[in-house]
Amino acid sequence: MQNIKQSNFSEITMQAIFFLSALISVLAVLAICLFLFMRGIPAITEIGAMDFIFNEKWGPTNTPASYGILSMIVGSIYVTAGAIVIGVPIGLMCAIFLSEFCPDNIYKIVKPAVNLLAGIPSIIYGFFGMEVIVPFVRENMGGNGYSILSASIILGIMILPTIISISESSIRAVPESYAEGSYGIGATKEETVFKVMVPAAKSGILTSIILGIGRAIGETMAVVMVAGNAVMPLDKIELLKPIRTLTTNIVTEMSYASGLHESALISTGVVLFVFIIILNASLSSINSKAQRN
Amino acid sequence: MKNSKVIFIIAFMLMLLMVFAGCTQESQENSNRQPAEFDFNKDITVVARDAASGTRGAFHEIMNIIVKENDTEVDKLVVGALEFDGTDKVITAVEGDKYGIGYISLGSVSDRIKAVAVNGAEPSVENVKSGAYSVSRPFLLVTKGTESDLVKDFLKFSESTQGQKITNDMNFIGAADSPEEYTASGMSGTIKVAGSTSVAPLMEKLQEAYQELNPDVVFETQAQGSSQGIKAAIDSSYDIGMSSRELKEEEASQLNRYVLAIDGIAVIVNNENPKNDLTSENITNIYTGEITKWSEVK
Repeated sequence: MQNIKQSNFSEITMQAIFFLSALISVLAVLAICLFLFMRGIPAITEIGAMDFIFNEKWGPTNTPASYGILSMIVGSIYVTAGAIVIGVPIGLMCAIFLSEFCPDNIYKIVKPAVNLLAGIPSIIYGFFGMEVIVPFVRENMGGNGYSILSASIILGIMILPTIISISESSIRAVPESYAEGSYGIGATKEETVFKVMVPAAKSGILTSIILGIGRAIGETMAVVMVAGNAVMPLDKIELLKPIRTLTTNIVTEMSYASGLHESALISTGVVLFVFIIILNASLSSINSKAQRN
Repeated sequence: MKNSKVIFIIAFMLMLLMVFAGCTQESQENSNRQPAEFDFNKDITVVARDAASGTRGAFHEIMNIIVKENDTEVDKLVVGALEFDGTDKVITAVEGDKYGIGYISLGSVSDRIKAVAVNGAEPSVENVKSGAYSVSRPFLLVTKGTESDLVKDFLKFSESTQGQKITNDMNFIGAADSPEEYTASGMSGTIKVAGSTSVAPLMEKLQEAYQELNPDVVFETQAQGSSQGIKAAIDSSYDIGMSSRELKEEEASQLNRYVLAIDGIAVIVNNENPKNDLTSENITNIYTGEITKWSEVK
């Protein structure tokens, strides 16, 4: 009787501990949401939501000050799009190679290299970008090197590991019977891979791309060092001209900002947060669609 | 099995090394092929600090990049100017770009870049002191209400001959009119200091010297920017706030203001740039975008 009681007690405590652990991540998300919206929303209403989101003039030190982040929203979208254009084809082809065509001995080199790429801190990417990619762009493409293109290249490299590992495992997860069926009706290896295996792994590949977008749009330290951070009017945005994104706007000005300026930066975070929520929502809709199929 | 793994890793490392070696060789060849000629018809790369920086606020005001009209105040920084959130990044950007121009604290000038004369005056401590070099700003210490005896004693030290000597040794200009010799007071306690990252290195040196005289005093220092220091002084969470920019009206009305030192702001260009002297008119025109090429700089 004593024993049962004791085990019951430890059962309950352990359950509570596990439950608490699960709760902590939920609480963290809630706390961050609460902080962001409580600090950000008043500033947005003070500036005016339309003026904040659809005005391209950012002049926090001017009198009267203007707090429009349209240029940065567009900047974030351009830089992320550039990263996708560069990163997705390379990452996807690498994933197909790794999962279908790669000899074992090469796999042993490529796979750890990809994993290492994922572990490099973003400040190192930033240094690399500032010392190698920026001069490269300056000398070969023109402009002063701090540009949408440089930021896109850096981000394209940074999202590779995400795209490669998730795509690879989703292609590997396609049941062997699919391939066997394809071979059975006389398809070649290439036909099997590109017409059967990759389409079957579609949802996993899409997931990898969306996670890549999430990484690219939220990246700060690397972008701030290569993008030049100039607030550009919409009609002057060019591939080889500098750009400011939502994240770099926050990080360049947060240390000194005060008053409404500081709140406007937090509101910039709110807009970024909304982007991430939209991305995650599309992610779960893809997943639920895939499950239904 | 294990052996082959090791061999692969070594082979991989060698490959990487070769790639890097190849890269550097190539770039050396490149630079050999193109001798360091300065093309005056290339666009100037304008480098500025972020909108909330104390250095930027001071520089843009002195150079009339900020235009005040009636009640409005507009920063006319040229569209497309690079903005960085730190002195180090400004230096790196100008160091790497032959056609770059930037501005940093006089104390941070090194041989990585070239500090030019403004209106014929070299950016030196003497010229800032005499007023010949016009691009300068005050370093402030701010407190709220009546200070404690300990804080008063430290402020007295910072204005003493010893304190001013430390300030001048660090290439800042001491601001005290008639410094007096400071004698140790033997006080004890804690002084909490917060604020500008530009002022912090000087503050640290002052604190060390003060502690040598008064070993029982402890300092707690937080350097996260001028605005933070001013805020901390206003809400009394810290005893002293450090600021590298002038106080705004609503701040000045609540605080006591002490000028700790004067700091020059150096205008920097790439080492390969043949220009050694710029007029303040040129600088203004470059930063507002009226001049876009070095050939237009007279």
